[in-house]
Amino acid sequence: MIQLENLSKYYGKLAAVESLNLEIQPGEIFGFLGPNGAGKTTTIRVMMGILKPSSGRATLGGYDVVREPEKAKAITGFVPDRAFIYEKLSGREFLKFVGSLHRMDSPRLERRIAHLLEHFELWEWRDELVEGYSHGMKQRLVLSASLLHEPRILIIDEPMVGIDPRGAKMLKDLFLSLAKSGTTVFLSTHSVGVAEEICQRVGIIHRGRLIASGSMAELYRMARIEEGGLESAFLELTRDGTAS
Amino acid sequence: MSALVVLLSPPVLSWKNDLRTGSPARWLRRLVLLGLGAAFWIGTYWTLKRVLAYFQTVYELGPALAYQLLLIILLTFLSMLLFSNLITSLSTFFLARDLDLVRSAPIPPSSFFYARLITTTVNSSWMVLFFSFPIFAAYGAVFRGGGLFYLWTLLVLPLFLIIPAALGVLITHLLVYWLPARRIRDILFFIGLFAFIVLYFLFRFSQPERLVEPETFGHFLEFLTAMETPSSPFLPSSWSAEIFASVLFARPVNRWFFFALLSSYALFLPLAASWVSAAVYISGWSKAQEARQGRHHSDLLDRIIHWLTHPFPQITKAIMTKDIKSFLRDATQWSQLFLLLALVAVYLYNFKVLPLDRSPIPSATLRTVVSFTNVALAGFVLSAVAMRFAFPAVSLEGRAFWILQTSPIALKSLLWSKFWLNLIPLLVLGELLVFFSNTLLRVPSWMMTLSLITVFFMTFGITAIGVGVGALYPKFHYDHVAEIPTSFGGAICMIFSVAFIGATVMIEAWPVYLLAMEGLNPGSTSAGSWVLAPSLAGVALLTVLAVVVPIKLGLSGLEEMPD
Repeated sequence: MIQLENLSKYYGKLAAVESLNLEIQPGEIFGFLGPNGAGKTTTIRVMMGILKPSSGRATLGGYDVVREPEKAKAITGFVPDRAFIYEKLSGREFLKFVGSLHRMDSPRLERRIAHLLEHFELWEWRDELVEGYSHGMKQRLVLSASLLHEPRILIIDEPMVGIDPRGAKMLKDLFLSLAKSGTTVFLSTHSVGVAEEICQRVGIIHRGRLIASGSMAELYRMARIEEGGLESAFLELTRDGTAS
Repeated sequence: MSALVVLLSPPVLSWKNDLRTGSPARWLRRLVLLGLGAAFWIGTYWTLKRVLAYFQTVYELGPALAYQLLLIILLTFLSMLLFSNLITSLSTFFLARDLDLVRSAPIPPSSFFYARLITTTVNSSWMVLFFSFPIFAAYGAVFRGGGLFYLWTLLVLPLFLIIPAALGVLITHLLVYWLPARRIRDILFFIGLFAFIVLYFLFRFSQPERLVEPETFGHFLEFLTAMETPSSPFLPSSWSAEIFASVLFARPVNRWFFFALLSSYALFLPLAASWVSAAVYISGWSKAQEARQGRHHSDLLDRIIHWLTHPFPQITKAIMTKDIKSFLRDATQWSQLFLLLALVAVYLYNFKVLPLDRSPIPSATLRTVVSFTNVALAGFVLSAVAMRFAFPAVSLEGRAFWILQTSPIALKSLLWSKFWLNLIPLLVLGELLVFFSNTLLRVPSWMMTLSLITVFFMTFGITAIGVGVGALYPKFHYDHVAEIPTSFGGAICMIFSVAFIGATVMIEAWPVYLLAMEGLNPGSTSAGSWVLAPSLAGVALLTVLAVVVPIKLGLSGLEEMPD
């Protein structure tokens, strides 16, 4: 469902991402782990067509994000790490706007908006301007927007930042249920605990290169550790770097 | 290191680093801006020097006129400074992003206050200071002020800048104590705009052009004699003017008295503001962090917007709906419409009072010439309006631009929706301006038709240049919408717009000349309205280029920009 082939991105001479190869199957929750500045956000921005790759290619659902960006984006939902949204629109208007960008017809859009606002406990705030929302509410609104068109792929950058434990539990359940229904979830995170809890496979990126990828058991084997879980494996695999 | 120095170091270091690290493109941009600044300085200096030299030729009245002008200039500076300090201090003291960090550090409140006061003063005053240099240089050169005048300028200017800064900071503290800061920014912006419009109307409707008419000159003399003394003796601008006048025109006043007056206020007001700040800052800042609440749902507005946007495709319609709602809910955006209305009213009024019948050239020919000039003028008005609305259109997406970037839409839909949204009101404005001004001018029907068609074409080009260049040089990180057009891209946009208007006018100049000559002296050129056809075709072709090229450039800029 998601395929990255020799994907590289350079900023001048600096290689932010180098020769990245990945393949993620439908219905899989894939965790993308790495220290600060490892290239996680750059990879995601390339996958979402916000950045052009320097070389290589990324395909979402079989669509090349450079050659067929509209088709690739139409089947994908995206939540950035810092979600700035239009402050002068109400929550409902914002969702209507995003739904229209996805060419959703009106009855379906209204139905989805009501469902998602209820689900994310924003229904009471639907007609308030976004500028009055708290950080957590904005996060939930952006998440609602990303799920509005029932995407086949969900790409999410640092989902747990600014989310309370109740919200975090809700998110984890949501990802699991989405995966169960066939949606591919690509999760970039610092939180080793979250990755360990819900991801079927994890990729570790370090200094722009994918240094390890596989199931938890495979990662433990690569790191040559028997206990300590994913955190120890992560620290071991990125030991020469600047893991946070 | 003292806390004050530490607190001032981030802006100084940022500025230093910004200067040290620059790509060639950035340096080129700086050079262009420097060139524009130098041109502005030379232009102001040269113009003012000529005006002051002319004043000097008016026997005995020269210094009085120059003194009155200095008073007006300093009063204008003072009001600009006060207003600018009010707005800036709202940001520096109550809305800045680094406040959480700074206020949670163990620093004395007084250091924080004086560091922010200095930042506010510098941020609000550098522009006025920049504008003032050629003015003082011109005064010094014409009235031979010499070293003494420049020394006094150096002594007076810092005091003149500190007083409105401290007063602005003090007033802001009191306002924020009673009202939420975000609301105050809107209110201040609105008041400032309103004050500007009132002053603009007062100035225009006082008909300053009558001052040069001989029959009113006697009356003017009386007026001037009455104005030999400053009308506002309690303002720092008048005190500063007295000091300068005593050096330049040997005005018999005690300059040391006025300097002491300025100094005492420049020392006392910051102190008073620091006392007020110590008393009210925390509760004011606390309020500033509270967001506005309230429901925003209007079926009527939704229906109107739906009706206005229904001819467009779904994506364009969605972007237009979002833009219209954001525009109507943002006071800093919609209040600029008042400026537009004032501009239109004064524009039309100018045509009403034009003394065309008193000219030695036959009235009908003159009306044709004025009407043709009017086409270019309307073009300039439209480009000024486009600078305010069309140019910032893409930048207004701000940091939420990622939503459009990651949506399944072609970015060209974004540019075209911005284009249509701006084109329609600009088209209505341009056509109304030309129609009413030509009606007031009583121009021949061929001229009316030509003007309406030309403005129709021009509006397409001007809008596309605004939207396209705005997309090529977007400014997604801004504090206030009014700062978007003042960027480098804004200058480029203005240059392109003026070049487009100039080219359009040049293409039409020859046939209009032929027809005007034919009107003046029938049979002299045997030109009929048909001579306009090739020119109009040329203008249409130029318009197509002016629409397609900027939009394409803007689109490629947006697509390439991410790095």
